[in-house]
Amino acid sequence: MVTKAVVSVSVAASITSSKLLINPSHRFSCLKSLSSLNSFSASALAIKCRGLSNCTSIKSARTMEGFTTITRASAQPLQNADELIASVETFIFDCDGVIWKGDKLIDGVPETLDMLRSKGKRLVFVTNNSTKSRKQYGKKFETLGLNVSEEEIFASSFAAAAYLKSINFPKDKKVYVIGEDGILKELELAGFQYLGGPEDGGKKIELKPGFLMEHDHDVGAVVVGFDRYFNYYKVQYGTLCIRENPGCLFIATNRDAVTHLTDAQEWAGGGSMVGAICGSTQRDPLVVGKPSTFMMDYLSDKFGILKSQICMVGDRLDTDILFGQNGGCKTLLVLSGVTTLSMLESPSNSIQPDFYTNKISDFLAPKTATV
Amino acid sequence: MEATNSNPTSTAAAELLCGVNAKALLDSVDAFLFDCDGVIWKGDKLIDGTPETLEMLRSMGKKLIFVTNNSTKSRFQYANKFRSLGLSVSQDEIFSSSYAAAMYLKVNQFPLEKKVYVIGGEGIVQELQLSGFTALGGPEDGEKRAQWKSNCLFEHDKDVGAVVVGLDPDINYYKLQYGTICIRENPGCLFIATNRDSVGHMTDLQEWPGAGCMVGAICGSTERKPIVVGKPSTFMMDFLLQKFNLSTYRMCMVGDRLDTDILFGQNAGCKTLLVLSGVTTKSILDDPSNKIQPDYYTSKVSDFLNFLGE
Repeated sequence: MVTKAVVSVSVAASITSSKLLINPSHRFSCLKSLSSLNSFSASALAIKCRGLSNCTSIKSARTMEGFTTITRASAQPLQNADELIASVETFIFDCDGVIWKGDKLIDGVPETLDMLRSKGKRLVFVTNNSTKSRKQYGKKFETLGLNVSEEEIFASSFAAAAYLKSINFPKDKKVYVIGEDGILKELELAGFQYLGGPEDGGKKIELKPGFLMEHDHDVGAVVVGFDRYFNYYKVQYGTLCIRENPGCLFIATNRDAVTHLTDAQEWAGGGSMVGAICGSTQRDPLVVGKPSTFMMDYLSDKFGILKSQICMVGDRLDTDILFGQNGGCKTLLVLSGVTTLSMLESPSNSIQPDFYTNKISDFLAPKTATV
Repeated sequence: MEATNSNPTSTAAAELLCGVNAKALLDSVDAFLFDCDGVIWKGDKLIDGTPETLEMLRSMGKKLIFVTNNSTKSRFQYANKFRSLGLSVSQDEIFSSSYAAAMYLKVNQFPLEKKVYVIGGEGIVQELQLSGFTALGGPEDGEKRAQWKSNCLFEHDKDVGAVVVGLDPDINYYKLQYGTICIRENPGCLFIATNRDSVGHMTDLQEWPGAGCMVGAICGSTERKPIVVGKPSTFMMDFLLQKFNLSTYRMCMVGDRLDTDILFGQNAGCKTLLVLSGVTTKSILDDPSNKIQPDYYTSKVSDFLNFLGE
């Protein structure tokens, strides 16, 4: 236990620009210019993922190619939940696979959240799912009988709008959205003009001689996220903006390969739409969702919390756990979502959380049963 | 046959084609490989002077071969397109990436009882069927919509042993999901890309996202790298070299795109000629970030007519 704490603290203390976990020359380049762990700079906080595929950037973390990193000890099964709870002030929870699966609440979640609150812990919910706004997520929590306020929720849809705000994106510029309603609502709330979104899903192309697709030259950013209304029209519109509007930003809410839209199976995720635009523009996006630390920096600044006082709880190694590690937090993997124990223990996996357990309601047992 | 994407070894600046070197080039090659989009036509519009140039080259005894990454048509459909534009080109002279995908599966003994899911156009579907394979997907899946309700499973055919991805103007979430699930869940399922061109002149007036877009989407959801059968992979080159008895150093690749056409020619040891009638401009060629230098460059294919008149 003591060894683990030393590792965590030394990582947190020595992160000045998150170099330890990210090899700037290889796949990731961290654009942060933080002078301390608690401040956040408006000038480029997102971690840029190089390469066309989501996998190449994540794989380099897994294979440790060319990395100058600390070798992490293997994840420990969570045996003393009380000790972990006592050692942190804030819990950041991923949602899909941790709190719910599709629209089904995972057993024991309400009681666990209540218990943590009763112990004075701050709870924050960070999800890469950009289909809903914070307000809409608030309603989802409410429908499931959970007491969570909008201000505690940070979806990647919100992150995109918050990022644009943080860089003082001009209000006279527009944002083209390849994504769903959540992104549109957050942009609107932040006072930005947007184009695109679900209604462009109905627009068709006819590749005929003499046909020219026009695009708005005032678009200064294209935001790409999970989009079930994805089509060629949107790809072309976004591509034209990025290629032809000078200085146009290419922002990705996240690059998750698959997502649990329904509890029964995996679905092609935001990484797919982002991959498409990488393919047509040959540009890398600015990623605002996990594992980029943008949201971590934002909320640590907002709530004035030290990262060493945070525990990130998630079900996905290459987003949730990497997010927590990149941010210098403690990390707890739950096996109630996409990651199984054998995936965690596989030799090809190099992302080791501090702890793992079956599900968050294991917090309720004084000593956790064997996983 | 392995798909390759080696870096070019030549970095000397491209020579502008003129009367003297054009004659020397013609004397030194027996066959011309032409890309199509941006070289022969743009969308459905023929580029000026092309028919006369091709006739002239044929009259000089040069072999003409057309190698296109555009997988929306089969070779048969391309032959029809050539004919409709007044060009006399036979199916045997055409190597489309749609054909390459089917040939890759054939050459690698893809079992006939397995199926192929296609994210792409009719061209791929037709070539697969011509080779005796069962193709699912293609343009008709452009009308399908996924359902996401609890207890509702997205079904997919467990016999799909390969997903072929090419340019698909009818791309939608259903196809992305179908291809993704096949690759992720059917053991040993191949992920084949006809090509990875980022953009192309699907119409004469502007560029449109190419297969690189659809392939990038599937890379993003599967975290896998595809087997690429089109340019700059040498797969099609190896195929046509076997078919025609040619040496690559007696061939000239003519194309408008550096990272596919020119790299394709260089990878095989051909001479290379860039035309500026397509996606590449002189400033892109000259840009310091560009590492691919063809042997020669000129504005368009019909410049040969002018040079030989000098």
